[in-house]
Amino acid sequence: MTGSGPATPLARWRPRLVTLLAFAMPVIFILVPLAIFLGYSFFSVNQGEIDYTLTLVNYSRFLSDPIFLPVFWNTCALCLSVAVICVLLAYPAAYFLTTLKGRWRYMLLMLLMVPLLMSYVIKIYAIRSILGLNGFLNKALVGLGILQEPSSLFVFNMNAILLTLTLLLIPFAILPIFLTLERIPPILRQASDDLGASATQTFMRVTLPLSLPGVASAASFVFVLAIGDFLTPQMVGGISGFTFGRVLYSQFGTAYNWPFGAALSVALAAVVVTAILLGERFGRNRGASL
Amino acid sequence: MNESSDLLTLRSVSKSYGAVPVLHDVNLAIRDGEFLTVLGPSGSGKTTVLRLIGGLEPLTSGAIRLDGQDISRMPINRRPFNTVFQDYALFPHLTVAGNVGYGLSVRPVPRKEIARRVAEALELVQLGSFAKRYPAQLSGGQRQRVALARALICRPRLILLDEPLAALDLELRRQMQEFLKSIQREIKTTFLFVTHDQEEAIGMSDRICVMQAGRIRQLGTPHELYYKPNCEFVARFFGENNLVPGTLGRVQGELRSIDTALGRLVCSIEGQPHLKSAPEGARAFAVFRPEALHLTGAHEAKNRFSGKVVDLAFAGSSTVAIIAAGENEPAPRLRMRLPSRFSGSALTWGETVALSFAPREAHLVLS
Repeated sequence: MTGSGPATPLARWRPRLVTLLAFAMPVIFILVPLAIFLGYSFFSVNQGEIDYTLTLVNYSRFLSDPIFLPVFWNTCALCLSVAVICVLLAYPAAYFLTTLKGRWRYMLLMLLMVPLLMSYVIKIYAIRSILGLNGFLNKALVGLGILQEPSSLFVFNMNAILLTLTLLLIPFAILPIFLTLERIPPILRQASDDLGASATQTFMRVTLPLSLPGVASAASFVFVLAIGDFLTPQMVGGISGFTFGRVLYSQFGTAYNWPFGAALSVALAAVVVTAILLGERFGRNRGASL
Repeated sequence: MNESSDLLTLRSVSKSYGAVPVLHDVNLAIRDGEFLTVLGPSGSGKTTVLRLIGGLEPLTSGAIRLDGQDISRMPINRRPFNTVFQDYALFPHLTVAGNVGYGLSVRPVPRKEIARRVAEALELVQLGSFAKRYPAQLSGGQRQRVALARALICRPRLILLDEPLAALDLELRRQMQEFLKSIQREIKTTFLFVTHDQEEAIGMSDRICVMQAGRIRQLGTPHELYYKPNCEFVARFFGENNLVPGTLGRVQGELRSIDTALGRLVCSIEGQPHLKSAPEGARAFAVFRPEALHLTGAHEAKNRFSGKVVDLAFAGSSTVAIIAAGENEPAPRLRMRLPSRFSGSALTWGETVALSFAPREAHLVLS
């Protein structure tokens, strides 16, 4: 090559350096820690000291112990319920948003997203006070005559976790559903009307199928966030609301068994990856988009 | 006009978006079985006419009648019309068969019959082997044909086509024009076709309705519009007419003279009473087509003038010459079309030539 090539060696290497950094960042900050965790799951703890000989004891304990597996499945079921309820509540909200015009649509969307700006802990406290024995929910139910006296049905148990997670995560379900609904070209609905479909038929045969990708990503989003949460179960779950996240948390805290905690994390990570892959699989439209 | 053969009539139809009027007092009768094209530049309101008829938008005022019955308020899904949309609007999540059968599947039609009619419709548009494909796997021309099959499967009284060929390349567009026309002949259904392409309109239509700025300017057969535009807009919009401005002179039977920069020209006013009654001295244009202009000998008496060849363009079977006509400056530029010859052009650059046109091949429009 002749003419005005890069002047200094530094200038010549700069693009490659930037490329290298771009790849190095996720490797160092994401893949390496994950690999270290995976490695830890094959160690064991002996009298408070980590024993670095490779073993499968953590995994066999997880699979054979009568406590961990049921908690694991219960947590999966709980988070699945959260995901389903979130989607069921978010869909009409998102649909309503798309029927609004211009400015109102985004104003309302912003309002729905405002809770995301608040501290997580404060939100949990707020919800706990609503669900509590003297909380708004009980007072309302008693006031309406549905309950004779305040019930502890909504606090310090699995129900409380379910309700709280649903309330906390619903914005994460509204957003992807809204975005796919908004992206459906209005002309498709008009084409359906033009071909003689009623409003219900148009919704069931055009709008709903075309919005399923958003529903799938919303569900996997909520599920993943819910299953990784240990703070919410800790704060509203009480003694009976014991989730896998809490078990995991305790392994790194009070139980001080990092290798076992790492093995449990691997199990959790497997579920999360599966959920994301499922979301991705159903998130794609059959026959691709137009 | 024979009232009984009218399928659909628009009576004083107007439409505004908020305070912005897009259609003014449009009157139009669509005859049963015809291929009617609504032609106009963008913003002329041609697509709005189609959307109003299809029921995609409500009228502001006026009425639309089908077989004499007012259907202005009839909801879109109950109108016996189907639309081929500009970008086809195929359902991306349904197969070709699913798309084509959609209009039947939302009605209580047995599955077997749907399958039979879908196969029939796909056969008609020559896509029989594509039933299981998705729209994304089809080419533009194929999508176009799916959209057509989807629109005609419900046997609508009227098929509305909103610039369906605009997205296709030239060669494919030509093929689709012939194809659409042959389908229309085969299924004997009325087509209302919207386009901005006058060549497309001429080639396909039984009648053309030219629109501009929300009004109908002229309605007639392609031949009428081509040779007898009734206003300056249509004359200019329709192909490459020569327009020479001037003032009207005397009426002489079916002819009338007009004084222009090229001298006194005589044009036909046959069948145009409003030109007969227009006052002398009124501003008008003499209108004639490039192929009406001839190189002429000394014996021609009427419509004779000289001009200088300022440009020549070979266009295959014909050659187009641009002529600066007359002696006065600025000289009107005229377009002249001559048959091409193997031995080269009859004209050379810069040459001064004597030209004329026959009075009955020219006519007048008021300005």
